[in-house]
Amino acid sequence: MKEADLESLMGKALEGDRQSYAELLRETTRFLKPYLSLRLREEHEVDDVLQEILLSIHKARHTYDGNRPYKPWAYAIAKFRLQDHFRFHYGDYLRQAVELSEIEESLAEPVTENAFSYESIRGEIERLPEKQAVILTLIHREGCTAREVAERMGMKESAVKVAAHRAYKLLRKKLEE
Amino acid sequence: MESIEDLIESLAGDAEPVRPARNPFLTWLKWTGMAAAYVFFALLISGHRNDLAERLHSPIFIAEMASLVFMVCSAALSASLLSFPDLYQRGRIVYLPLLSAACFAVVMMVAWRLDNPPSPLPVHSYQCTLSIALLSLLPMFSIFRSLRKNASTHAGWAGVNAVLYAFGTGAIWLRLEEATNSIAHVLEWHYLPMLLVGIIGLWLGKKLLKW
Repeated sequence: MKEADLESLMGKALEGDRQSYAELLRETTRFLKPYLSLRLREEHEVDDVLQEILLSIHKARHTYDGNRPYKPWAYAIAKFRLQDHFRFHYGDYLRQAVELSEIEESLAEPVTENAFSYESIRGEIERLPEKQAVILTLIHREGCTAREVAERMGMKESAVKVAAHRAYKLLRKKLEE
Repeated sequence: MESIEDLIESLAGDAEPVRPARNPFLTWLKWTGMAAAYVFFALLISGHRNDLAERLHSPIFIAEMASLVFMVCSAALSASLLSFPDLYQRGRIVYLPLLSAACFAVVMMVAWRLDNPPSPLPVHSYQCTLSIALLSLLPMFSIFRSLRKNASTHAGWAGVNAVLYAFGTGAIWLRLEEATNSIAHVLEWHYLPMLLVGIIGLWLGKKLLKW
């Protein structure tokens, strides 16, 4: 679709033409999706950010007056929401990060060997966050090494060790209660 | 993709006619006009400095006022453009306040060198910063209220410019009201606080212009 068509659709949308507005949003989705797919790894992330962008376009549509091209306006909003997403995503990631010094000792230890049996704490493991529960189940029920778990779950070995460490901490807390 | 289609249907269902935001250049004209009127009425109430006619013959004073007015106008224009997600596709103009601040700094350096021997310092000090801050409250409230109606994607920089516009308006008023020729005083208590105010503006922008 040509730029002029998008501007004309937006012009009609601002006048309250719902069909033109829906068509414009569909077209916007069409050209924004490849832009987001290049920058985000997961398909569900692309859809989440795309929904945020469409909502923002809806909220900010009064700032488009038809006197300038539509695409740069839509891309500006897309970039803004994408940055918001990254800020939230990496901010969250950092909040959940574990200090290396905290796990230094346990990194050297084989995380797949433990004094307790899987069956004895199975109930507690199942109540852990899903990812941690899966990791402990693979390690303790199926006897996988951290590297094998990492390969199966598409994670880094160090990430598996960190997650296992967190899970052990949680379990210890629960079992001590 | 189904949920996106649902969202599109729902947004289209909500699409009432919308009046587009005012052109940012018209908004800028409105804000600069308001600032001029505000300074004029403030001077009517507070009175102007008794040596104003004489000072208006001093090239360095004229340069100082002109560069200050340039800074206020450029901050208003920048804030107005920054209230649009795409900066109204005039991205370069939003950095004009940096140029105006550089011009202002040069003028003040020249004024500092020309103030030799230094003019006597007035007896007051922080009261000037306080007066400017108080006078700038109304323009600041007005500009933030206006900015919040749009959708800024550069909230921090928009906040800096909004606050500079308001504080600069107050600084113009005080320079025309207070009979002091001490450049050291005006630098310390009129203009340097602008730097701090700029940081406050950055924070305010991020807080108030979220959408």
